[in-house]
Amino acid sequence: MEVGMLPISASKRGKLLAAGYTTLHSISRASPSHLATDIGVSEDEACEILKYASQTSALDPSIGSSNASTLEGGQTAWTMLNEEKFATRITTSCADLDNILGGGITCKEVTELGGVPGIGKTQIGIQLAVNVQIPPEYGGLGGKAIYIDTEGSFMVERVLQIAEACIEDMSEYSHHFHNTVQDCEVKLHPNGILENIFYFRVCSYTEQIALVNYLDKFIEEHKDVKIIILDSVTFHFRQDFDDMALRTRLLSEMALKLMKLARKFCLAVVLLNQVTTKYIEGSYQLTLALGDSWSHSCTNRIVLFWNGDERHAYIDKSPSLKSASAAYSVTTRGIRNSNSSCKRIKMV
Amino acid sequence: MAPLKCMEKDYPLIDSHFQSFCASHAIFSFEDFLLYDLHALIASADNHSSSNTLKQGIDQLLSVIDAKLPSLRNGLQLLQDAECNKLLLPTGFQGIDALLGGGLRAGQLTELVGLSSSGKTQACLTSASTVAKQGGSVIYFDTGNSFSPQRIADLVGQTSDYVVDNQAELGPLQRVMERIMCYSVFDIYQMFDMLQQLKINLKSKIVESDHHVQLLIIDSISSLITPILGGRGPQGHALMISAGYLLKKLADDHNIAVMVTNHMVAGEGGTSKPALGESWKSVPHIRLLLSREYDSNVCNISTLKHPSVASGRAAKYTMYL
Repeated sequence: MEVGMLPISASKRGKLLAAGYTTLHSISRASPSHLATDIGVSEDEACEILKYASQTSALDPSIGSSNASTLEGGQTAWTMLNEEKFATRITTSCADLDNILGGGITCKEVTELGGVPGIGKTQIGIQLAVNVQIPPEYGGLGGKAIYIDTEGSFMVERVLQIAEACIEDMSEYSHHFHNTVQDCEVKLHPNGILENIFYFRVCSYTEQIALVNYLDKFIEEHKDVKIIILDSVTFHFRQDFDDMALRTRLLSEMALKLMKLARKFCLAVVLLNQVTTKYIEGSYQLTLALGDSWSHSCTNRIVLFWNGDERHAYIDKSPSLKSASAAYSVTTRGIRNSNSSCKRIKMV
Repeated sequence: MAPLKCMEKDYPLIDSHFQSFCASHAIFSFEDFLLYDLHALIASADNHSSSNTLKQGIDQLLSVIDAKLPSLRNGLQLLQDAECNKLLLPTGFQGIDALLGGGLRAGQLTELVGLSSSGKTQACLTSASTVAKQGGSVIYFDTGNSFSPQRIADLVGQTSDYVVDNQAELGPLQRVMERIMCYSVFDIYQMFDMLQQLKINLKSKIVESDHHVQLLIIDSISSLITPILGGRGPQGHALMISAGYLLKKLADDHNIAVMVTNHMVAGEGGTSKPALGESWKSVPHIRLLLSREYDSNVCNISTLKHPSVASGRAAKYTMYL
């Protein structure tokens, strides 16, 4: 039934069907007052229904489309390929990790990072929130960050520490590559970096969903936000959730909204996830939380794990990256390569 | 169809006099007319003073019904249609093509089911690049920002026909990639709008140039349907089934192969089963299960449902990297 395809409430749909309006064509032929008396709603509501119906049936055959495309609103693979070449990525400050990611975290994609407690998820989140602000002259995006904290693990002192280390590395880099004195000046100040991180604290799952819905409007007003970090997406959905079916619906809707934000505003979305055990092929193994259906809510999925004494990252799912793993370490200056005492982050 | 009073504008014979006659038989809408006993209605019209105009009104309604009926086809016409129009599209994986008896069939809805990272998106991208290389046009609905143009370029450049390094030969790559159109869809209502628009656009173009749409991929349809499925009310189910119906009709009317991907959920006893439930099981024509051994390039594919291949038949194929 075509009436079922209109985004209206269930009660209005029921009233339309009971009055005999089953196709969009029949609705669009009725006048608002006629419709209002027939189905027993106010005239404003009837006008709204007519607006939806006419939007859909305004796909008028006589207008048609140009010969260029059978359907509007899309891009050819060729244009997307050319756009991709100019896309910058957000570095993680660890050269090995950047290598397996193809340069860093990609914008327009949702990346999920998951691991056991203590592996460094929040640290990576904070490092990315600082690194997104690296100015374009140093190979960064020069954007702002949104940090959504659900667990309360965001420590401002640590952000300050990482920001100072980042600025020191940038000035060291510029000393090596620029000869003139004025180019050596790094125009960033740690307080400036802190100012460009928008911090939200959510305390329940309804707040989390409300915030994701609100982000569309927020980013319209702050167009230079280039990364959204959700730490962690699991926390409020794990405890005391009675209705698992409701949880699946809420999570998949939230995932679609985040995907839409990433695509619409060309920013990166990073979701941090926890782990759980799952019975696979006869043994219990560690997998990321929130179930099988959640695994489709991210474009790339990276699993963080311990290998002996070292922290490793492994690309579990990606449409364009090869499966590979890399080691990284968490230092006082932030995320860096492991084994090496190299304190300089690699700027490309 | 509308209540009878809305039809008055287009069909002047259905005037208020006729409507009040119908109302006396409790006929208010077109469906009521269809359900009512026609002979009894005509007999009652005969007893009226203005029986001729009433009978003309009844004839008008009957002609409206005739206009709506699709034409009947016999078995021979269906066979000819199948041989000429419903062609097989190779997917680019020899294992899958062998299992499917040649490839994806135009006019049918194929579903790929698998766990996370089992190769569904890769299969979609490979099919898209293979069909585009052979000259057909591809429409790709992407719900998870997983469409990777770089991967498509790699896949297209893999056969010996196109060498990507050569500046002079960028032309063919561009031509092939321009046949793949990618749309970001994040909402099931948006998908419905786009499918309706596609239906109208395809109907209005009678003779298409050499780039007519051969393949429609929706990756993944389960992420669009899961937010509305379940909960109070059957709306989610109704939307899911009407989406399936719309896709199958598009496939059949315009000779397109439709490929959708679905994820898996936990079933009984620790096994996984395809998502979207029992009602969705009967919607696709062909259902294929993909799985990948951990950390290897070899994928398994087996048929869950197929009109002409026994279910449970399996094949292996290697994913190019």
